[in-house]
Amino acid sequence: MSEGAATIRTRKFMTNRLLCRKQMIVDVLHPGKATIPKTEVREKLAKMYKTTPDVIFCFGFRTKFGGGKTSGFGLIYDSLDFAKKFEPKYRLQRHGLVEIKKTGRKQRKERKNRQKKVRGTKKAKVGAGKKK
Amino acid sequence: MSTEEITEAVNLLSAVESQTQDVTKLVDHLLKKATENEYNTSKGISFLELKYQLLLSYLMNLTYISLQKSQGSSIQDDPTIDRLIEIRTVLEKMRPIDKKLKYQVDKVVRTAASGGTDSSDPLRYRANPENLISKLDDESESESEGEEKKSKIYHPPKLTAMHYEGDETEMDKDQKVLERAKKRALSTSMLRELREEFSEGPTEIRETTSTQRSRAERKLRERTHYEEENFMRFSVSKKDKGKKGKKAKQIISKKFVYDYMKPIFVSNVAKSPD
Repeated sequence: MSEGAATIRTRKFMTNRLLCRKQMIVDVLHPGKATIPKTEVREKLAKMYKTTPDVIFCFGFRTKFGGGKTSGFGLIYDSLDFAKKFEPKYRLQRHGLVEIKKTGRKQRKERKNRQKKVRGTKKAKVGAGKKK
Repeated sequence: MSTEEITEAVNLLSAVESQTQDVTKLVDHLLKKATENEYNTSKGISFLELKYQLLLSYLMNLTYISLQKSQGSSIQDDPTIDRLIEIRTVLEKMRPIDKKLKYQVDKVVRTAASGGTDSSDPLRYRANPENLISKLDDESESESEGEEKKSKIYHPPKLTAMHYEGDETEMDKDQKVLERAKKRALSTSMLRELREEFSEGPTEIRETTSTQRSRAERKLRERTHYEEENFMRFSVSKKDKGKKGKKAKQIISKKFVYDYMKPIFVSNVAKSPD
């Protein structure tokens, strides 16, 4: 499959029945260009394996030194429900399926320090409101 | 017994009689020939004659065995098998001698087939010693003259034979450079991996003993293997990042690889019309 100058080949293909998915190593050849974004890789894999791109999760793309070749991993789930069940939250967040609420780092550290001052079950109450 | 059977038996018996008469005649003929020394056995049987006699008797015994088997009768404790084994052993022992004689036999056969030997045949194996004598007489004469005039040009000493490049044109040089670049590009790791994947032969694992890179390469290989098995990526520590950077400074940029590969797609340099 090539479009422009990028070629995608898959290696070490395996059907993981336990996790209801197909997993493989994805090699992208793109001589003379920058690394292909993950969304494009998903589109191409969808065409290759005749699925929709929303059940395809790819990650871990590392470009070989000198450029031109990138290797990463790809997972193709049987359905989106299985994907939501088995995929880690951060990867679902990348696709926009899940929202992870993140309090700021400073807030978390301050809360911890406030908790240090109190003993027992009162710790839970401490974080409820920012003092002063 | 019915009349049919009687007539059949009589016919068979007469056939047997005539056949035995033929056999006795043949055997007498052979005996006469052998006793009258038509077959020359004074020097013993020659190697080649022995070989084909053995092969023939092997074949006869083999056909006898196969006949027995096809008829369904057992071949256990049959003396034919002992004979076969004996002939086989002798043939095996003859094999190394045969190998030594092979060259001679082939030559004789070839001369017989071609119908005569050519005196200028390059395969007539005898070195001509006259060709090995160096013509030293001319050299000793010129040396006495050369001492008087010393040339001012420096001629480097001729130690080994060097390739003569005088007749190469500019085109030839460019083409050679291109070919070399092509060869180098074809053996890059990228194409090597492609070739490994699509070739049908078995994968080769070569044991290299390069001491410098062996530890680092082994570690890297282990790491990539683990990463691919477990579908995860290691985070690169600062130390490892530094190490990769050192190698990186040797290779200049991403564009380099692409230019490296370009020679493969360039066809032959256009030749000037001669």
